[in-house]
Amino acid sequence: MSETVLRTEKLFKTYEMGKRKVPALYDLNLQVNKGEFVAIMGPSGSGKTTLLNVLGCLDKPTSGKMILDQVDVTNLPERQLYKIRRNKIGFIFQTFNLLPYLNAAENVGLPMEYGKRSKSERRQEARRLLDLVGLAGRGEHRPQRLSAGEQQRVAIARALANDPAIILADEPTGNLDTENKFEIVKLLGNLNIERGTTIVMVTHDGHVASHSERVLFLKDGKITKEKKGLHLAKKKLACPYCGSKIQPTDERCPTCRKKLVAAEEEESI
Amino acid sequence: MGAFTRAVRNLSRRKMRALLVIIALGFSMAIMVSIPAGIVANQEAAQAMTADFNSTMTTMQEQINKTATLIECQTSGQGMFSGRPFEGLQQQQTYMEESIANEIRSISGVKDVVEFLTVSSDETTSETINGPMGRNFTISRPVYTITGVTLNPSFIDDYSILPTNITAGRNLRQGDSGVVLLNSNLTAYFGVGVGDKVEMYGESFTVVGVYDEAGQGRFETRSAYVNITDAQTAAGLTGNVSRLDVYAEDVSDVDSIAEVISAAYTSLQVTTYKDRLSQLDNMQTMYTQTLTSAQATVSNTETVATQEIMIAVVATSLIVLFVMLYTVRERTKEIGTLKAIGFSNWNVMSQFMLEGMLLSLVAGVVGIAIGTVGAPLLSGILLPQISPFGSGGNSQFRPGAANTGNFGSFGILGASTVTVTPSLQTMLIAIGAAVLLGALGSLYPAWRAARTRPAEAMRYE
Repeated sequence: MSETVLRTEKLFKTYEMGKRKVPALYDLNLQVNKGEFVAIMGPSGSGKTTLLNVLGCLDKPTSGKMILDQVDVTNLPERQLYKIRRNKIGFIFQTFNLLPYLNAAENVGLPMEYGKRSKSERRQEARRLLDLVGLAGRGEHRPQRLSAGEQQRVAIARALANDPAIILADEPTGNLDTENKFEIVKLLGNLNIERGTTIVMVTHDGHVASHSERVLFLKDGKITKEKKGLHLAKKKLACPYCGSKIQPTDERCPTCRKKLVAAEEEESI
Repeated sequence: MGAFTRAVRNLSRRKMRALLVIIALGFSMAIMVSIPAGIVANQEAAQAMTADFNSTMTTMQEQINKTATLIECQTSGQGMFSGRPFEGLQQQQTYMEESIANEIRSISGVKDVVEFLTVSSDETTSETINGPMGRNFTISRPVYTITGVTLNPSFIDDYSILPTNITAGRNLRQGDSGVVLLNSNLTAYFGVGVGDKVEMYGESFTVVGVYDEAGQGRFETRSAYVNITDAQTAAGLTGNVSRLDVYAEDVSDVDSIAEVISAAYTSLQVTTYKDRLSQLDNMQTMYTQTLTSAQATVSNTETVATQEIMIAVVATSLIVLFVMLYTVRERTKEIGTLKAIGFSNWNVMSQFMLEGMLLSLVAGVVGIAIGTVGAPLLSGILLPQISPFGSGGNSQFRPGAANTGNFGSFGILGASTVTVTPSLQTMLIAIGAAVLLGALGSLYPAWRAARTRPAEAMRYE
């Protein structure tokens, strides 16, 4: 049995809209093991963002328990939570959220700024991470000089900065065109395989989700279904059914014509 | 790459806003810088006035004491405006017969009678005088004034009838004729030196010496001394004098001699030390009024300045407050992101405090620059100014007897040129205040920033 990185028990999150109470998460139980690549799918309003906020310690659950890297973070005060966010979690946003007035390397270095590393170590680490995401030599560029795909790569490098226990990605391909979309998913898949990075990715794109190992379906704040992902990156872009070569953008295997998409978007709506 | 670099980049990212804020803050800071300088300038002006008054009073008192036995007899036209600053302003000068001198000499108790003839050139110059608080006025005055004196060695020694401050050449002496002693203003006006010839009243005179006018009046007097007979000939006033200085044997005789002269020659203005003392009293009263008014201005200045500085302080803090609040609102998502990737509340708060302080630091430097350059103008607008002419603002000085020479040289007339320069200390305090006010103004916005929910990072607008 592999080590559990993230576990939630009976997680509830209720928003109060005036006098009405709206449940966003309802008795949610989730377990993510070390080295796993999990995708969470669900229609809008299913609680995806709320879940990610709670998992990322950006928001507190109304009740339940959450354990991250052996630490019960459910009731930690803010003065300790920021350290959890800094050291144990790497966040990837749909809109990249890079600071426009900092260059790529400086953006990557941000989470390390108040850590123990020296300035030169931080700079070196930022460069190494940019190499890792395929942006060697682009460290001096400001976000506006980079393409959307490149910006998301910078954001991924930033998420890896303090070598976190888990990467939380919120619709990481939501603002990208098809080509960049699969490049980013491929990159995440490779990080997962080569570095063993644990990734939880929220998406509503079944094709993107199929690149993960495990796809969870969220509806009304509960996990209603779980499917095995194809984990295409792990299979080195070979069809899991017939073994022939496929492209990351292929929706069906060109040889055996089997579907390579984990779940249709419509299915979850 | 630290919080400081980020603060600098953020400020330079929105140049127009930063610039406007810096200008607005800069003016507040400029007010803070220039006002203390204005206060100091006013205090200094008041002190200078006091010192001037005191020394003038002392000098006059001494001269009155020294000349206790002197009875001045003048023809009309002199007296009221015969003090140095106003010398030559009178238009209607009348003269008296020289024979009156001999008649007065025969009055018992009279020791000496010294004759003078003071005449002004018909030619005039038109000049603009700088008045207080930048007000100018134009006057027309004679090119020069010549005083003819009796070159009797004992008169020269006993009664100081000639200037003493010789800067070139020599003084006049007994037997001199066709020679002139010029003051430095007049040599400059004519462009001559010792040994040169000058034409005055159509007569040619050789310059034998140059003297400096004691004191510094508002008017650059242009005067000359010649033998009295030369003056009479040149001016066509043979046998005439304009003033007689009558010296009594003893102070106790002064009153009776003055009475006799007044009764015999009704057209003469006769003044004794008592008159001069009462003139001095009047002056003292006016001086005191002026000083009181100056002191009132100084204390008023301090009150006004305190209010204005308070307004500037509040304005500065408010500007920083609003700008930083706006900035924080605008950057909610950025702040959320910073918190999501592990910035603590304090990291975020100090970031925004730093930005606010940096903004006001730059504004402070700009403000000091504006304040230093514009201090005279700003303090002129913002603070009440000391008027050297007293509360009424009109010239009321009546400088008194002519023969006592230096009476007219009131330094106070020149005291309106106050220099307003902010001191280094003021500048340093202003810089400190700028940073402090920046910190104060950004305290609440930075706190708001720190309280931003990290989940704001997920807002997709």
